[in-house]
Amino acid sequence: MNLITEIENLKKVKQEENDSNLYLRKIYEPDLINLLKKCYQCARCSGVCQISKVQKFTPSRIIQMILEGFEDEIINSQVLWDCLMCNSCLEHCPKDINFADIVRIARYKMRLKDIQNPDRSIAHKGIYPLMSEMMSQDNMEIERPLDWIPKGCKTSDKGNILYYVGCLPFFNYEFEDSLSIAESTLKIICQLEKDPVVILKDEICCGHDLYWGQAKFESFIELAKKNVKRFEETGATTIVTACAECYRTFKIDYPKLFEEFNKKFEVKHIIEYIFDKWKQGKVLFKNPNKSDEVIPFTYHDPCRLSRFLPKDNKIIEEVREIFKHLKIIGYNFKEMEHNKENSYCCGVNSWMNCNERSKALRYKRLLEAKAVGTKMITSCPKCRMHLNCLKKDYEDFSSIEILDFSEFLVDLIKIIEPNKNVEGK
Amino acid sequence: MISKEKKVKNKEFHPNILCFCCNWCSYAGADLAGVSRFQYPPTIRIVRVMCSGRVDPAFILEAFKDGIDGVIVTGCHIGDCHYLKGNEFARDRFERFREVLKIFNLDKRFRLEWVSASEGKRFAEVITEFTNKIKKLGPLQAI
Repeated sequence: MNLITEIENLKKVKQEENDSNLYLRKIYEPDLINLLKKCYQCARCSGVCQISKVQKFTPSRIIQMILEGFEDEIINSQVLWDCLMCNSCLEHCPKDINFADIVRIARYKMRLKDIQNPDRSIAHKGIYPLMSEMMSQDNMEIERPLDWIPKGCKTSDKGNILYYVGCLPFFNYEFEDSLSIAESTLKIICQLEKDPVVILKDEICCGHDLYWGQAKFESFIELAKKNVKRFEETGATTIVTACAECYRTFKIDYPKLFEEFNKKFEVKHIIEYIFDKWKQGKVLFKNPNKSDEVIPFTYHDPCRLSRFLPKDNKIIEEVREIFKHLKIIGYNFKEMEHNKENSYCCGVNSWMNCNERSKALRYKRLLEAKAVGTKMITSCPKCRMHLNCLKKDYEDFSSIEILDFSEFLVDLIKIIEPNKNVEGK
Repeated sequence: MISKEKKVKNKEFHPNILCFCCNWCSYAGADLAGVSRFQYPPTIRIVRVMCSGRVDPAFILEAFKDGIDGVIVTGCHIGDCHYLKGNEFARDRFERFREVLKIFNLDKRFRLEWVSASEGKRFAEVITEFTNKIKKLGPLQAI
């Protein structure tokens, strides 16, 4: 009897191995040279590389070294942990070589080599990636606090529309009022939807940071499997998120693992969601304060919503259309010097390398913002946190207010057919 | 063979507890407990740190991730810190960190305790009490 169960257990283990290998093959390409063969060394990538402005980092040289057969040297030197993964190089590459993807794969190789443990160089001692990794384990029970939900909002376990909160409750540990993003987003969705919105109490991380930053693909696959299973249980067809990173992961990286993901679920960023409702004529913008003062504001494009999406995405234009419309109610939208696909990076990606060099990049960005407006809007919670962090260190920037997209719009939005269940806060 | 060993273990659950002791008070307290022959269960693994303020929340999460059943951080009493304010930092930090542990349902498995160098008996009591609590909660890793 014992023997039979043991053999069955062994079989199960083998099957699981094959299963995860199958998934791993979909997101991992072991042959780096194959990906780089198109490169003809025009070195535009090194010219536009954002981190190269503050430290020595030349993508074109790294590519050439890999092509000439020095792949091991590049991997042993660990230089690729410094990449910001802002994708500026892909935007300017005439041959469409996806350098960020190469860095991601090389990071996985670097981790397997085990020369130096990169976990020690992650910002905040790697506490946030650790949380994501813990969520991928089966023995952890997640129970999120739901006391931030505004009064009158109907939520349930099952329904048509799902709001994916993301890591915001975890950030509350070190960063102030990160949950206000979730609160204002849910308030907007609740006012527009008649059915209750699905909020998962046991929601887990989307795995973005493990996928791009720390290259822990196995944990990422586990998280993706759990997430898809959980989404299917709720019966939702639309997933709305306020996070740029979650949006990109659901829209592009999950379909790599599960081909049918895009057919089953329609993923929408809150910008797209509001824009659609506005075009349908369900939403108006009104200013609650009746003063003639014109407030200049500007918009910081997160990399995941500009350079990391396919070229035919409309989010960049949609958000600007909304902002230009706001001129009627006394908000004047102005572009920063670097905008849209050319916008500067906030300096940190997936909790890697927060140091004086990335702070220099952030300083530059805030200088640009200060020159054109008093409010700075962004649609990535992490950009908001990173920029707010630097703002505290310098008094010059105390006049700028850094807000998330939904935090900015929650007071200005007016619903034409108001949902009577929702009262004001 | 492995499965048989596990079954024997299952009969009585011996938790693995990680204990951070500050060099100046709690480690000396643990030493005193040993010298004075106060009995406490052999479930803890002591890690000596210079101050309880040195303990990062990431250490605790990593311990739980690798399957430890409980973590206890001990330090000098408030006001007695060798580095003046180290334990106050630790207290504030873990107060906020408890919110994160609550999301993972781990807050019952974590404890912050002040033990001074003369409190050998108290150290033994704290460890015994915490071990009993973890035994009631059961193992974290589902075997």
